[in-house]
Amino acid sequence: MIRKPISHRWKVGLGVAAFVLLAAGYTVLSYRQHVRNPDDTLIPTWSQLADGLVRITTPNERSQEVWLWDDARATLGRLATGLLLGVGLGIPLGLLMGCYRKVGAFFQPVLAFLAKVPPSAMLAVFFVMVGTGFEMYVTMMVFGVLPSLAHAVYHAASEDVPDELIHKALTLGADQFEVAYNVIYKHILPRTLDAIRHQIGPAMVYLLAAEMLVGSVGLGYRMRLQARLMDMSTVYLYVVFLGLVGLLLDYSLIWTRRRLCPWFEKE
Amino acid sequence: MHDIVLECRGVSHWFGDKKVLFDINLRVARGQIAALVGPSGCGKTTLFRAILGTHPPRAGEVFINGAPVTTATRDCGIVYQKYSLFPFLTAEENVAFGLMLDGTSPQFRLFQFWKWRPLRKAHIEQAAALLKKLGLGHAVKLYPSEMSGGMCQRVAIAQALIMKPQILLLDEPFGALDESTREDLQNMILELYRENLQAKKEGRKPPYTIVVVTHELNEAIYVGDRVAGLSQYWNWEAAGQPEHPGSTIIYDAVAPVFEPHQERDDSVIRDQRRELRRVVFDPNYRPRRDEFVRFWRECESGLGTGVMAT
Repeated sequence: MIRKPISHRWKVGLGVAAFVLLAAGYTVLSYRQHVRNPDDTLIPTWSQLADGLVRITTPNERSQEVWLWDDARATLGRLATGLLLGVGLGIPLGLLMGCYRKVGAFFQPVLAFLAKVPPSAMLAVFFVMVGTGFEMYVTMMVFGVLPSLAHAVYHAASEDVPDELIHKALTLGADQFEVAYNVIYKHILPRTLDAIRHQIGPAMVYLLAAEMLVGSVGLGYRMRLQARLMDMSTVYLYVVFLGLVGLLLDYSLIWTRRRLCPWFEKE
Repeated sequence: MHDIVLECRGVSHWFGDKKVLFDINLRVARGQIAALVGPSGCGKTTLFRAILGTHPPRAGEVFINGAPVTTATRDCGIVYQKYSLFPFLTAEENVAFGLMLDGTSPQFRLFQFWKWRPLRKAHIEQAAALLKKLGLGHAVKLYPSEMSGGMCQRVAIAQALIMKPQILLLDEPFGALDESTREDLQNMILELYRENLQAKKEGRKPPYTIVVVTHELNEAIYVGDRVAGLSQYWNWEAAGQPEHPGSTIIYDAVAPVFEPHQERDDSVIRDQRRELRRVVFDPNYRPRRDEFVRFWRECESGLGTGVMAT
């Protein structure tokens, strides 16, 4: 029956079943591959994956580096800096554009254009402008996040808040800043948090692509390197780790939205 | 001599070639509850926006307490039919919102938060007390999405009243409510009017001056002491206009004053309702501009009701 509600137990059970099915499918594939070639590393067995997990989480014999820790620290540091800068600049810019028509008219066309330029295509420009270090990753992510986020906030600020609420705030004694912050910003906060959530995926894509191309440390760099060495147990574990990080960020933003905007959940 | 709170002097408005309002002259005295009615598209909202100050008229001026209105200020409160509350604030926060915005600055709230916190608590308590007085004590922590339409409108009226504005505009405030809730809220307005009468009796200034826009004629006559009609159907040729100059006030008369919860006797309002329907709403009946504008004449002849009674 279309849209027939299901119980919480069914919901959780079906979600777990999907993961079990995925693991079972992988086990069958891996088994068949290892029947053909016992030394295969393309589809590693669960024990190979366990060995890989130990290898990436304990100090390397030669370099004493802990791969996962060092790579995650580098990648997540770049991601956090890029996202914070992109969000920190994108939200005020979008808000200003949504509040003041002239600011909107000035920035909107150029942001719409920049939002359509793939950040990976700008890599060549950034190599020349800021080199291949930390600044390059951050610049690329800001370039990827800021226009889209500012655009989303601009549309929310200029379209989602009814004029009546702004007029009403003025009759209650609000000044321009209070209308912008206490009415418009508060009203669009849930949508802004959702817009940030939607930017995390693309930001990771830009970052990993850049790390695969020019990195010397980082999750993207390690995955590319190990894939070339056919060490897929490391690659798959990194993929799972990236998925978990993405989920964690996603849920932490949903949690933040629930905490900051309880009214939105109730609507 | 009456204490005039709102005055529209020669207010006209147009959008390009489209003429909307023509030479509106309207004076509302302190303590009055005046209803404004008119057919769809007659420019009621445009006139309201001009009075509110968000969209000043192209010609003429609006004065509140003698001061020209050029922008929306805390002197003029407003309650809309839709979007009457801030969805991200609870009922008590909505009511306390104006106290915060009007009484404190963002700098004060940020840099003197140790002073702001107790003040905030006092605002919330004041708001909760007002909501309790209006029968919403159980709903102070609810968000607008958790309240019925009637509750939201009550909170919206409290939100405006707590600011003690010079004049309160109600823009079809009960339009989307069921009959019973609508009657409850009409009684609430009549309770406010009773406070006005009491204040006048005691020689104080009546605290509430209200203009209500409504499309419901019974409501227009029932909630106020005066009904004004804005209409595009009038004899503009007789006024020497070469083309239709827009809507103007073609009806303005004293209305009977009711007590809250008083049994509604239809015979009292029937004749006025019939007159309004013919004069203001009938496209084929086009009166001369001043033919039915008689409110101030009636008051001078001692026919004024409520706070306008002599």
